[in-house]
Amino acid sequence: MKLLAHPATHRVLGLVIGAVFLYASLDKIAHPPEFARIVYHYQVIGPSQSIPPLVPNTFAVVLPWIEAVAGLLLMAGVWRREAALLTAAMLVTFVLAVGSALYRGIDVQNCGCFTVGAEGRRAGWGLLLGDTLLLAGALALVAVPVRTSESGATAEALPAR
Amino acid sequence: MKVWRVAVLVGLGSVLGLVWNAASGRGLALARNVFLKDGDDVVVVADARARLERGALFLDARPAAFYQMSHVPGALPLPEDDFEPHFARIESRLRSALDVIVYCSGYGCEASHDVARKLKERGIPAAILHEGWPGWQEAGYPEKVGDAP
Repeated sequence: MKLLAHPATHRVLGLVIGAVFLYASLDKIAHPPEFARIVYHYQVIGPSQSIPPLVPNTFAVVLPWIEAVAGLLLMAGVWRREAALLTAAMLVTFVLAVGSALYRGIDVQNCGCFTVGAEGRRAGWGLLLGDTLLLAGALALVAVPVRTSESGATAEALPAR
Repeated sequence: MKVWRVAVLVGLGSVLGLVWNAASGRGLALARNVFLKDGDDVVVVADARARLERGALFLDARPAAFYQMSHVPGALPLPEDDFEPHFARIESRLRSALDVIVYCSGYGCEASHDVARKLKERGIPAAILHEGWPGWQEAGYPEKVGDAP
């Protein structure tokens, strides 16, 4: 726990997870229609008979920018716990979407993780493992306060500035 | 931990995304299905059933194994992932058909759109079944199992 609370651990975790999220956002930001296609392939948030295209399209337009904002803040160390909570929420969403596709036997040939092109990675068990590891890192940033002194006081225990 | 900061991040990302979508020239029409392109002819499942009874030729754009499991009675297999050899086998039939409808695995599937466009490039107009095979099944319309149409 001491290691997880160390400021350097938080900096490294923030840099790594932030870089992954920022990088993951770039191709999706550059190609919104192609990312929307991938969102459709998961068949989780539509479109369907009851869900209009507006829902998955808006998700596809907005999600990459939330990834980018959260990634930048994690890397910069600004609002780190809040950005980590947001990345954790996104990772839970990704795990549920991939798990749901696997369970229903839907072959999502490009997971939409880092690229929207044909070279993208298939949504499978390896992806679930990677997302789960990132989720563990993000949750550590959220749940373990940074230790700020040799006596072991944490940032949470200090008066707000 | 301040929850309002999380809301600010979500709000900021959402605004940036919507502005980028509207102003970048790379965006999409939010209310429109991205699988659809100008010139695509789409038919809903009830109309497709009526057209089947009037003699429309149905094409199954899913992988061949799915066709064998079940398909629209009378439909021919024309899988998007193995288009050319299947097309060569049924080309004469397609060219003589007056009404062609292509379907695949539903809303998350783009194969029917791709096949319909390939047919159009070859001078064969084809409509796309909007709800796909799941819509056909949910409507309780007839199905056929096996290799034969």
